[in-house]
Amino acid sequence: MELNAGYIAFAIYTLIILAGGMLAILSKNIIRSLVGLIVILFGVAGMYFLMAAPFMALMQIMIYVGAVSVLIFFAIMLTKSDAEAGIDCKRLLKSVIPAGIASAVMLFTVAKSRINFTIPEEVGLKELGKALLSTYMLPFELISIVLFVAMAGAVVLGFERRREKE
Amino acid sequence: MILSPLTLFQIVGVLLFFMGVTCMIYKRTFIGMLIGVEIMLNGAGMNLVAASQLTTADSATGQIGSLLIMGLAAAEATLILAIVLVVYRRFKTIESEKVATLRG
Repeated sequence: MELNAGYIAFAIYTLIILAGGMLAILSKNIIRSLVGLIVILFGVAGMYFLMAAPFMALMQIMIYVGAVSVLIFFAIMLTKSDAEAGIDCKRLLKSVIPAGIASAVMLFTVAKSRINFTIPEEVGLKELGKALLSTYMLPFELISIVLFVAMAGAVVLGFERRREKE
Repeated sequence: MILSPLTLFQIVGVLLFFMGVTCMIYKRTFIGMLIGVEIMLNGAGMNLVAASQLTTADSATGQIGSLLIMGLAAAEATLILAIVLVVYRRFKTIESEKVATLRG
């Protein structure tokens, strides 16, 4: 009974992801594409809940929906983009075929693998924090450097823009 | 043959990758391409967590790897925002096919 409920939730989240993807790919307006991306992000957050990782779901909503989509919205707001032309079937076909080939290879690999799965168990926050500060100390520090460099680079590019204007 | 939950999650990861690549090639503007990249990175993170939670591998490893992917995605979005602004100032457009100074 419980397993069936899990499968039903999985189907609902998959449908949410599919709907978001259609909205992101096929909509003419770039803002609607962004809304499609946000719908996908919420669907993936549901998937994280389903595999017993609620902390990841929370981080997904906080980082992606809260920060990355706002950044993309700023990029849309600060530039003027014309609406895309209507659905271009030829172009869509041209983009679906390479993506389909790559995905088919992946599906083939997934179908060939035989890994026994286990019932997922939630990892405590304490355990996660300990791993982050002992085993994975170096990546944790490196990601802070990467974020700092990205921020500094963005600021430098912004000032470059202003200096050229004068 | 009934599909195991791990396979189901991996198939959703492949679906996200497919939608991301399609979005990246289909969209004409840089921001549309950025949206495609975000979809792909999301699929990668989900797949990583699924592979660590549903097998005997260490669960904390997968979750921390997924957190790193999220951090890199945020850094990448920041840089692309700055680059798009510079390109927009210079070319007055963000359509990838119109941004060209050499016309061969």
